[in-house]
Amino acid sequence: MIGSSPEIELEEGLEGREFVRPPESYWRQSWVRLRENRLALAAGGVVLFLAVVAIAAPLIQIPIHYGPLQQDLTDNFAPPFKAPHWLGTDELGRDVLIRLVFGARVSLGIGFLTVLIATTVGTAVGLAAGYYGRWTDEVLMRIVDVFLAFPAIFLFIGMSILFRPGTLTLSLIIASVGWAGVARLVRSETLTLKTRDYMLATRSLGARDLRLMVRHLLPNVLPILIVSASLGVGQIILIAAALDFLGLGIQPPTPSWGSMLSNAQTYFYHSPWLVIFPGLMIFITVLATTLFGNAVRDAFDPRLR
Amino acid sequence: MAEHLLEVRGLTTEFETRDGILRAVDRVDLYLDPGEILGIVGESGSGKTMTVLSIMRLVPRPGRVVAGEVIYRGRDLVQVSEQEMREVRGAEIAMIFQDPMTSLNPVFRTGWQVGEPLRLHKGMGLRDSIGQAARMFRQVGIPEAERRTANYPHEFSGGMRQRAMIAMGLTTAPPLLIADEPTTALDVTIQAQILELLREIASQFGTAIILITHNLGVVAGMCDRLMVMYAGRVVEEGATEGVFARPKHPYTWSLLRSIPRLDADEREPLHPIEGMPPDLTNLPSGCAFHPRCPFRIQRCIDERPELVALVDGQRAACWVTQAGTDLELAATGDAWGGDG
Amino acid sequence: MLGRYVARRVLAAIPVFLGVTIVTFLLMHLTAGNYVPGLALNPDLTAKDIARIRANLGLDRPLYVQYLTWLGGILHGDFGTSLIDGTSVLGDILGRLPNTLELTGTAIFMGALVAIPLGVVSARRRGGALDNFLTLVSTVGFAVPQFWLGLLLILIFSVQFEAWHLPWLPSSGAYSAFNGGGPLDRLQHLILPGAVLSFFYISQWSRFVRSSMVEVLSQDYIRTAWAKGMSERRVTYLHALRNSILSLVTLVGLEIPGLIGGGLVVEVVFGWPGIGLLAYQRALQYDYTVVMGTTTFAALLVIVGNLLADVLYAWLDPRIRYR
Repeated sequence: MIGSSPEIELEEGLEGREFVRPPESYWRQSWVRLRENRLALAAGGVVLFLAVVAIAAPLIQIPIHYGPLQQDLTDNFAPPFKAPHWLGTDELGRDVLIRLVFGARVSLGIGFLTVLIATTVGTAVGLAAGYYGRWTDEVLMRIVDVFLAFPAIFLFIGMSILFRPGTLTLSLIIASVGWAGVARLVRSETLTLKTRDYMLATRSLGARDLRLMVRHLLPNVLPILIVSASLGVGQIILIAAALDFLGLGIQPPTPSWGSMLSNAQTYFYHSPWLVIFPGLMIFITVLATTLFGNAVRDAFDPRLR
Repeated sequence: MAEHLLEVRGLTTEFETRDGILRAVDRVDLYLDPGEILGIVGESGSGKTMTVLSIMRLVPRPGRVVAGEVIYRGRDLVQVSEQEMREVRGAEIAMIFQDPMTSLNPVFRTGWQVGEPLRLHKGMGLRDSIGQAARMFRQVGIPEAERRTANYPHEFSGGMRQRAMIAMGLTTAPPLLIADEPTTALDVTIQAQILELLREIASQFGTAIILITHNLGVVAGMCDRLMVMYAGRVVEEGATEGVFARPKHPYTWSLLRSIPRLDADEREPLHPIEGMPPDLTNLPSGCAFHPRCPFRIQRCIDERPELVALVDGQRAACWVTQAGTDLELAATGDAWGGDG
Repeated sequence: MLGRYVARRVLAAIPVFLGVTIVTFLLMHLTAGNYVPGLALNPDLTAKDIARIRANLGLDRPLYVQYLTWLGGILHGDFGTSLIDGTSVLGDILGRLPNTLELTGTAIFMGALVAIPLGVVSARRRGGALDNFLTLVSTVGFAVPQFWLGLLLILIFSVQFEAWHLPWLPSSGAYSAFNGGGPLDRLQHLILPGAVLSFFYISQWSRFVRSSMVEVLSQDYIRTAWAKGMSERRVTYLHALRNSILSLVTLVGLEIPGLIGGGLVVEVVFGWPGIGLLAYQRALQYDYTVVMGTTTFAALLVIVGNLLADVLYAWLDPRIRYR
């Protein structure tokens, strides 16, 4: 018998930390890698399903026969798993199922909208800071530092009180902090890209700044943006739900998962389903987007190649 | 023959990879006597490092020793328990590595690290072990030894770090020291100093040394005996002088022709070895060197040659020389001219 | 050497702190700066009365004067007084601070205590059952809303346990109103909120420790450690862990804003009388001096926390002092 030996780690070859402009095949390769990941497909399927549900909410309302705001005080706190209210009713006799369906609109809408805004602003700032350098970089990055130093929730509280937010305002509020992280990421990537020969070459040919940034830098930071965006959606849905829960987000009577939970707190001694279902929806949504985001990172992140 | 300090027989180490089983060490035999310096030479990937890591039982996973014995002072190290093996490592057999920049732990003081084997194996206390580390520092030529033990590795130069590594290997006065390319990462002048230090150690303490290198010049100056590896196999082994004077394997012969020699005719060109090192997951048939060999015969392609003693205890694994052919004569003769 | 390093870090933190105060001030001014609670609703007050009250509160002065006055106060430790009950904002904050530190400190400590060994073990046995299980737990931990987890725990350990006549845990506050405040009583109140917060840290940090251990274990100096003939335990927990803890320290430092923010939600769910709950309750009442004070104070905590993490890192990593 051969004696056992300690397990020593073999150093894994970490190549390709630096990468030049992704060739055309990069996108196809990433896409193939993503499609081969079964967990990713499943998670992506869940996200897609939820998106369809959110968009088609008014249609789903038809067979259920209840509106999200429709009250029935004669049938409040109806327990779940029984017709006609499959997931029960709340304290005003509103159908939980249809409220969850409409809640998906709010959650997913805010998730995607916020990521869009934060990524756009963050990319612009990051590109500018990284490209121009010197005092532009210095000033912009100090501002980024300030926003990263904030315990964001305190800012959200302040802003929420000012704006009494709907979907768009809540997205803007969350994005007002979220852009800083994106900006820092894009800046550091831009700094490494800027030193590349082709950048110098293009510059010496007299290309204008804006053109250089949009045509040459942007496509190169795109993979990293895709990764950060797909990982960001889930976290933003969580933050938005927390704000709704605190009563600082989407205002009643508009159904959102967070505010449903907040409401249910009072009643969960006798109606625990009012707590369980909305939380489950948040959990499933965030889990699916996070798993999908992880898979996207594995497939697209040039640093993991 | 009297019992050797270390005798390795048929040592075989394999890695399971996606492309199949990779045999990094293939039936290696070697021996070492006290105070002797053995050089192991070969290209990177030839299995030099894996051979000594197999002796130490420190093969990185997923690799493992699948066959063979490593007899050290009458015990087979392949068979002993991990507990016993731990008592051998650092106490009986010490090892120093190629890159002194990364081989010392950055977060501990050098004296603490150099004295650690004493605490592990000799039951010495912290203060005593660091005191002993300072004495070792002096021994290996680190100035201001006392003060230097309080330094961290990043405060040492590369040469100093390698001296510290050697000091660390020698604190427990092990009978055997394995040095894996100890000078590759260093400046040329520092290289010479470190090699000189190793030679002194061997003669002064009677420490046996296995010196892994890809530099034949180092071997010529240092080693009593020499072992050449190719594709995980030993292809030639013998006294340094003998092998240099009349290599009995075409690979050794090519290696010797590929290095610049001081006594060579200036007009004589250098001869780099043609072809690529072999893919270990897909070795050529027969002798692994045959695709690059200027002397190959049909038998080299069909059948793997074993290591056979030829002259003065010099052994080689080659059908051509085992058939009595002299490589130097054959190379200058017309018969082989067109093939080089 | 370490002293100079610390001094440099402190200097770098000053502009960030000023930036934080400016943002907070502007935001609060926009939010509620022109608003005095109940003022507009009171029919007995004339426009002149309102103007007088505003003047007393200093709200009629130019914005920058108000900011500098407020900042000057903060630098002297004066965070102003509450608009609701006239108590000192700093006094309110300091009164709540021990509770917040108790909760967050416990959670961070428990988190690290559990996450580090879990991370180390799953790094040593990569792809093993425990490793895969922990990957699952961490993904779940990343996706589960803390307030929901808190509610579920209350549902199980307070509501259901009580219904089943089992020893149940308190679901709200830091101690019992009657005959409370003893160490055991406080501990009972700490369990649920502490569990929610530390579960989150455990799920994140154990993955982090794992990946940094995987990297450290492949380093040359670990091979050196093996070659010296030491036990697996010593290699892992002394030589490797010391290095990978370095990166965990940095991570915790970077996550401090998240730690304090996450604490707020948990404080609200469990009625834990900390700074977060104070800020939240007062925000709902438009008590903007208190909100400004808590926000600034929390940002200060973040900055100090980052600073501490930097210093700790420098202390742990001998290489950094010379940079």
